[in-house]
Amino acid sequence: MMNLNLSSTTLSPNKAKVIAIAFLIVSFIGFLDSSYLTVQHYRGEPPSCAIFTGCETVAESKYAVAGPIPLALLGLLYYLAIFILTVAYFDTKKERLLLLAALLTIAGFLASLYFVYLQLFVIKAICLYCMISAASSTALFTFGAFAMFRDRDSKQCR
Amino acid sequence: MEPLTKKEKRELKRQEKLEAKEQNIKTRLLKRVAIWGAAFLLLGGAVAGVFYLDSAEPSQPALLLDAVSPTDWTKGGEESKAILIEYSDFQCPACGHYYPLVKQLAQEFGDGMQFAYRHFPLPSHKNAELAARAAEAGGAQNKFWEMHDMIFEHQEEWSGKSGAGAQADFKQYSEKLGLDTARFDSDLDSDAIKNKVENDRQSGLRSKVNSTPTFFLNGQKIQNPRSYDEFKSLINDTLSK
Repeated sequence: MMNLNLSSTTLSPNKAKVIAIAFLIVSFIGFLDSSYLTVQHYRGEPPSCAIFTGCETVAESKYAVAGPIPLALLGLLYYLAIFILTVAYFDTKKERLLLLAALLTIAGFLASLYFVYLQLFVIKAICLYCMISAASSTALFTFGAFAMFRDRDSKQCR
Repeated sequence: MEPLTKKEKRELKRQEKLEAKEQNIKTRLLKRVAIWGAAFLLLGGAVAGVFYLDSAEPSQPALLLDAVSPTDWTKGGEESKAILIEYSDFQCPACGHYYPLVKQLAQEFGDGMQFAYRHFPLPSHKNAELAARAAEAGGAQNKFWEMHDMIFEHQEEWSGKSGAGAQADFKQYSEKLGLDTARFDSDLDSDAIKNKVENDRQSGLRSKVNSTPTFFLNGQKIQNPRSYDEFKSLINDTLSK
């Protein structure tokens, strides 16, 4: 089990800074990507079918929404949350904010795994923008795991 | 100047400390405002950029290189001042969305507008090319538009099926339309029809079509209208020019 202690300050300042900057950049990319998909969704009509993106089949499928809420919007809120938490970390230097963001990336990563599975095996169509989002959340999770594992490592070394 | 007493010195130090503290608070506040300001500016700019890109007109208007030819499937008047050409993919949901709109336009304008349908089956839609050939096979028996309508109206049913499943559906439509189903089957696999679909696709590629539906009004690529009324007024504008 990972040893998570959100109140401890065990990340070295440099590591924390690298992770925070990575969070900022990647969550911004994810935010851009999912806001594009959200705008497309709320335009109301199906997006035109492009040679490369393949998004129309995915975006028009029943898996693109959770009840009345488009998944693109959920993704947008997720990336926004990571971004805001990281900015708050830069503002206050409270490490628990960064670790909270790192915890969130677990949910983002698991959701992305499921969405990639849906695209490959259920909808059988791949949407480029959804794959960009999956890549972003995987990158966030990698950095997030790095932040959380540091927590345990440094404790063991003491 | 008189030397400061101990008490005065202490007082001065206290003052300096207080000022430094105040200065510190001010810098800190400024820093906070800068951090959050930059963050929200970035997010706001991103959202505005996405909206802008989504609605921006293409910077270089694409031109249609191939005019309406006798091999095209057309509706309406040949002498019309408004010629609408669509590059379409039967399996594309957006094309399915535009299908009733275009049909209604053709009905409403009658001979006042000419409409031509060209195939642009996308590689990501596995039954699209087959559907295009099915429409052409209907056309070989003078029922192109009937088959075209049938295919679009049942888009959701055959789109998810395997190639063989979709083909069985198309054959069923040909039967419903009273076509010679044996001939329909052989036409579906004929080189002439395969070439016709491929030629349409090539002509689309020459005119830089990269998504469906793509509409050209009098040779000029247009942004896909967001509603029937918008589409109609676009054509009316062209007619009144």
